[in-house]
Amino acid sequence: MSIADFLVIATFTAPQTIQTNPALMLWMLPLAASMAITYKATKLPTITPANFIKEAAILFASIVIIITIIALALYALMWLITE
Amino acid sequence: MARLSKENHLLFPLIVGVLAWLIPGAGHFALNEKKRAIIIFATIVPTFCAGLYIGSIGVIDTVGATPWYVYAAQIMISPMVAVLAHLTAGGSYPAYGWPNEIGQIYTSTAGLLNLLCIVNAVYLAYMRSTQTSGG
Repeated sequence: MSIADFLVIATFTAPQTIQTNPALMLWMLPLAASMAITYKATKLPTITPANFIKEAAILFASIVIIITIIALALYALMWLITE
Repeated sequence: MARLSKENHLLFPLIVGVLAWLIPGAGHFALNEKKRAIIIFATIVPTFCAGLYIGSIGVIDTVGATPWYVYAAQIMISPMVAVLAHLTAGGSYPAYGWPNEIGQIYTSTAGLLNLLCIVNAVYLAYMRSTQTSGG
């Protein structure tokens, strides 16, 4: 096994360091993109690059906007209860 | 003859389903849906690998605190997950806190996305096998 192989394997055997801060929420973006792309890959009748990118982008934006609205609503509810 | 045709209707989707489980996108590739297959493989595999990178292979944990449904979702991506689970069973790769949580979410979501693709590939295979035989 070469040093490069060892380093590649080593990156998967130790967890990364992730701090608790607002930027933590950004981890949802790659996951939302993955969901939008996979869902559209299975649902579109024909796949052309322009149409696929447009449809996936719309779904990705919808997921992010809806999650943001729900988060804001829950934050407002929490504020009403605690203040 | 009708029985043989019915068996083919079931066998073809079954083979496609197993292929889709073995390698993400392979089911669609077998159905000659190469664009879909490439997109599925290029999306699901990096999502799963990102989960392993963030939380280490310790996020696949059948023995520790992981709920059973997380492992059930993770194994939907490929039977290779069982090999990783065997490696981590001794507790040699502990993962805690946010990296563990995010790693589990990424890997189990990748598995559930592959389940969606498996169901879609089996459905397409079944529809094609019934259409080609006129049934």
